[in-house]
Amino acid sequence: MRLYRSHVLVGMDTFTLLAGARKVKEHLIRQIEKRGLSDEIKVLETGSLGITNRGVVLLIYPEGCYYVNVKPEDVPEIVEEHLLKGRTVQRLLFKGELERKAVALPESPLDVRRQSRVVLQNCGVIDPENIDEYIGRGGYEALERALFQMKPQEVIEQVKRSGLVGRGGAGFPTGLKWEISAKVASEEKYIICNADEGEPGTFKDRVIMEGDPHRVIEGMLLAGYAVGANKGFIYIRGEYALSIQRMEKAIKQAYEYNLLGSNILETNFSFDLEMRKGAGAYVCGEETALIESLEGKRGEPRNKPPYPGTCGLWGKPTVVNNVETLANIPSIIVKGADWFRSLGTKETPGTKLYTILGHVVNQGVIEVETGITLRKIIFDYGGGMKNGREFKAALVGGAAGCFLGKDMLDVKMDYTTLKSYKAVLGSGAVLVMDTSTCIVDMLRCILDFFKRESCGKCVPCRMGTDRLYRLIVDISSGKGTKDHPKLMLELAQMMNKASFCPLGQSVLLPLSSAFKYFEDEVMEHILDKRCPAGVCKMGEK
Amino acid sequence: MVQNLANSKLKERREKILRRYPPKRDSLLYILHDLQDLNPQNYLTSEDVKAVSEYLGISVGEVESVISFYSMFSRKPRGRYVIRFCSSPTCHLLEGPRVLEELKKLLGIEVGQTTGDGLFTLEMTSCLGACGVAPAMMINDEIYGNLTPFKVKEIIESYRKKGK
Amino acid sequence: MVSLTIDGKPIKTKKGSTILEAALDNGIEIPHLCYHKGLSVAGACRLCLVKIKGRPGMVASCLTEVAEGMEVIAFDEEIDETRRLIVELILSEHKHDCLVCEKNGQCELQDLAYRLGIDRVRFSVEKPNEELDNSSEVILRDPNRCILCGRCVRSCAEIAVQDVLKFANRGSEMFIIAGLNQLLAETDCVFCGACVQACPTGSLTEKLARFQGRSWEFRKVRTTCPYCGVGCQIELNIKDDRIVKVYGVEEGPENKGHLCVKGRFGFDFVHHEDRLTTPLIKRNGEFEEASWDEALDLVATKFSQLKQKYGSDALAGLSSAKCTNEENYLFQKFVRVCFGTNNVDHCARLCHSSTVAGLSRAFGSGAMTNSIREFEKADVILITGSNTTENHPVIGSLLKHVARYKGVKLIVVDPREIELTGYATIWLRQRSGTDVAWINGLMNVIVNEALYDEEFIKSRTENFEEFKKVILKYTPDRVEKITGIPKRKLIEAARMYARAKKASIVFAMGITQHITGTDNVLSLANLAMLCGNVGKEGTGVNPLRGQNNVQGACDLGALPDVYPGYQKVSDPKIREKFERAWRAKLSPKEGLTVVEMMNAASEGRIKVFT
Repeated sequence: MRLYRSHVLVGMDTFTLLAGARKVKEHLIRQIEKRGLSDEIKVLETGSLGITNRGVVLLIYPEGCYYVNVKPEDVPEIVEEHLLKGRTVQRLLFKGELERKAVALPESPLDVRRQSRVVLQNCGVIDPENIDEYIGRGGYEALERALFQMKPQEVIEQVKRSGLVGRGGAGFPTGLKWEISAKVASEEKYIICNADEGEPGTFKDRVIMEGDPHRVIEGMLLAGYAVGANKGFIYIRGEYALSIQRMEKAIKQAYEYNLLGSNILETNFSFDLEMRKGAGAYVCGEETALIESLEGKRGEPRNKPPYPGTCGLWGKPTVVNNVETLANIPSIIVKGADWFRSLGTKETPGTKLYTILGHVVNQGVIEVETGITLRKIIFDYGGGMKNGREFKAALVGGAAGCFLGKDMLDVKMDYTTLKSYKAVLGSGAVLVMDTSTCIVDMLRCILDFFKRESCGKCVPCRMGTDRLYRLIVDISSGKGTKDHPKLMLELAQMMNKASFCPLGQSVLLPLSSAFKYFEDEVMEHILDKRCPAGVCKMGEK
Repeated sequence: MVQNLANSKLKERREKILRRYPPKRDSLLYILHDLQDLNPQNYLTSEDVKAVSEYLGISVGEVESVISFYSMFSRKPRGRYVIRFCSSPTCHLLEGPRVLEELKKLLGIEVGQTTGDGLFTLEMTSCLGACGVAPAMMINDEIYGNLTPFKVKEIIESYRKKGK
Repeated sequence: MVSLTIDGKPIKTKKGSTILEAALDNGIEIPHLCYHKGLSVAGACRLCLVKIKGRPGMVASCLTEVAEGMEVIAFDEEIDETRRLIVELILSEHKHDCLVCEKNGQCELQDLAYRLGIDRVRFSVEKPNEELDNSSEVILRDPNRCILCGRCVRSCAEIAVQDVLKFANRGSEMFIIAGLNQLLAETDCVFCGACVQACPTGSLTEKLARFQGRSWEFRKVRTTCPYCGVGCQIELNIKDDRIVKVYGVEEGPENKGHLCVKGRFGFDFVHHEDRLTTPLIKRNGEFEEASWDEALDLVATKFSQLKQKYGSDALAGLSSAKCTNEENYLFQKFVRVCFGTNNVDHCARLCHSSTVAGLSRAFGSGAMTNSIREFEKADVILITGSNTTENHPVIGSLLKHVARYKGVKLIVVDPREIELTGYATIWLRQRSGTDVAWINGLMNVIVNEALYDEEFIKSRTENFEEFKKVILKYTPDRVEKITGIPKRKLIEAARMYARAKKASIVFAMGITQHITGTDNVLSLANLAMLCGNVGKEGTGVNPLRGQNNVQGACDLGALPDVYPGYQKVSDPKIREKFERAWRAKLSPKEGLTVVEMMNAASEGRIKVFT
């Protein structure tokens, strides 16, 4: 293998591609060739480098420095100054806060070295379209170990002991989920990867699939082996074109390497994997609705019990796991349950991907040990409030999440802790809002989302989401009465008790948390017909 | 005569898509995706519905029922370019509404409508998972992010040129 | 049995029941709207929510199975409040035109609103008035009264198995769609009205009954449908001695509440203005109204005169397969005793006479060996010569239902591509008139592969060796040449039928209306006996008879060659028995069949025809 003195990694994810990453890469290769440096410097494509919203991003080793907003015309300068002469191009370096001096070894908050990247360990480091690079970094070692050194039950035990819980939002213990299906005697069992990522503010699964698709495949293989399933489906939302493309390519490569198909690695274990696209329905992120959709029907949730674990796809035992959950498995098998337990909190160990969005300096996905506080997310990794504004609230867990106010800044953000505060972690989306935000306006947006996404099967949700939306529109257009908040809570509480599935049940969360923190603001809309943040157009429908 | 030729060509293409998938119920969504993509007006016709119904052995009502459930499918003709503008919290917070207003002005239509020249249909959609570059929108299969009123103007212009 | 308590009341119920079923069976009326007996459970209205001790929150009682020792709370303040808010929401969108709604007084939504005391409706929304679907002659659809309970969708999919009505869109945009979002009359709807009967409100109603009577004004009479041999149990709703509408009786074992378009809507002939209201006597070439006395006197006199002049055998009578057993008995007795002849027959001659002849010889009785409901218990059903969905729609729906939902395998043998071929696991398409050949072909395979029921044959049949000699000649190759059925498929069908634990045969005119009709029937009987499929639940040989009482007309002797009970006229001992019972001399000569009667009449040999 050739030894290069320098590696230039070009982040290729949905966002950087939009910004022209391919062109920049082409230019880099040409320039490097022109300067006769092709033997010394390697240009690589990789997944997300963890920095979004900054145009094309480059990461150059061995210095480990990031360049952002790189345009094709900047390339000659980078090659000349940095690669040839060893001088960093200051103006393109990724900076932290505006006032901070740009440094070559960035102290920038989204610096991957300050994260505990387990799931994302390869993202931004390898070429996701090259299986050899995954293998080169220890990929498929877990599969090997499981197939040759472990019995299926041992794999389950390991995952159980690790304490891993579902990372999609529900937080159900993964090992237990696998065990339930493993225990059922059935010729046909299925593993489904839930890649329908629809929770607003969430794109962590996209990052994983675009950056390290093989990790997901390996996770599914391990699940299949543990549970006794020989068929898997990845149900991915129809809008994720690049993820679909990368996963399909990865699946193809895995088949070529006999890591999928019959007699994997010449053992008795066979596993077939197929991609399946969704068609635009948030409710299909719920596991039984997902199964209905896979079966070619309307994505309406099924009653539980029976749970998919015993009666799922076509009535067979089915394990449905989130992308991030599956991406944790290989490391757990290789490094062991104790290692996993050593990270994060006791109740929900390991790491978690958090998406930091909104009025913060640095938006993007980070992976850190569970139990991080909101303050650290916003003010450390997020780089603090944008434009120096004041923190108002954070919406944690997406639309089906919770508003958290200043008093919650120091609470540990993991499933159990938040639950005890009657809040949720959900998918780990953190939308940060400053004082220019109108909570009523945000609520209107959230309730519009639920109304649009309700499947319509049950009365409480079908009608409740519609009425809630109409009531918040009243409030935000100055037609609210003092009965409105009471009516809304009454509806949402009933929906919480009576709805068929978690979609209808969870509308109470954002509503009640918003009312809890910002009752005054809501009442000002109603009594004074005024929007303090100046967002709502009073008197308009 | 020309219409018949066009119809039979369409029928041929439709058959080809159907044969790509086994005639089982779970092929339904994929067949619908492909059939819709085949149509320059990005929608599914009654002929499509009948053909699928026959191929899969399910009633036309059942096919309609599934189509109408998913927001990516349409039974009404749409523009050549379907703009799906994100309406979810992150895009909403980061100036989405302002960009949307600009977009509406540029196109001269309201949400749910198609421009007179048949080029664009404007729809609202739920979170696209492009929150990192909010506000965002999709035009057919392409995602556009970091939208500003200016950027959106550029994008529409480029499509208008392409459309010619 | 499982023991549980509901609000402290001890209940015993079958294992596998849901809490709601257990409650309703025991007089505990847990509110519900989307649940309907006989349909799958949706759990969509959320009205039936209950609490279970030891479990958090509320669960839908329609979806939750009972467990030993379960303590259920069906009514408390919190549950009550929840139910009221749900009904309030439904009412907030509902068109409030109870004044002119047919369901006024028997509307489930009305009942609930009253029961729960909903005296104020908040959250009201002005929805645009949707147009009525007036396209069908018999079913009226009013989408404004629809509460999206889904019962019509499930009825159409599970009972009628037509799949016309479906849910469209999602969330608050949801509505019920018919076919390609068409008017009902443009779709594949067969207007059986299962949806109308299932609808809890006045969204789906009988068009002909509109404005014809209030629900409390009806006198209800249970009777049997006058149309086909299924014999559906119907409930007539009568106002002022006029039938206004018809319901299917849920307890009727044949139909379980289901009807077809004829049974449910085809009663307009009863009060048709073209019907006679008095006897008419032709005088001077014109029919004139007469009294019953006048008419009967005239007829009786004439009959006697003609009998005197031309002899008994110049008189003949045709009974009816649409009359009751009593009427048929009386009629054949009248013909035999009063006319003094055995010239009595009815329409069975023209349809299932082969069946009667064949099955009488094979089993001793010419009737369906098993009951209609037993199709649910079969594993395989062989259907031949019957376009069941068209001619016996309620049985046709049942066959579709068991094929789709109960995993029953259908083998359809028919030269035509009928609706049932779409539900068949195997469809054999034989050349017309080659039925004995393919049936023998099936039996050939079964005998060769030793798939027959040896025990049954030994203990219950005769002439197996003779039979075998003939069967062995009908090899799959030969049968393929004769019938056109590919031998591979023949073999597959034979194995499927023979290997089934319980297999049933269904047939009709496609088997009987041949010169070889009787042989066809006998062959089917052989097939059933060969595999022991007689005398067991879910098996048998089942001719689907045409009229609603053709079985009765046959059983009660409205036939020229037998007395009631299929007792031979030509047998002196039997004749003597009847002569004693009826105290009259009876003719020893077998009478004319209906076709012979017609020929005789045209030749002038029959002078009286009644």
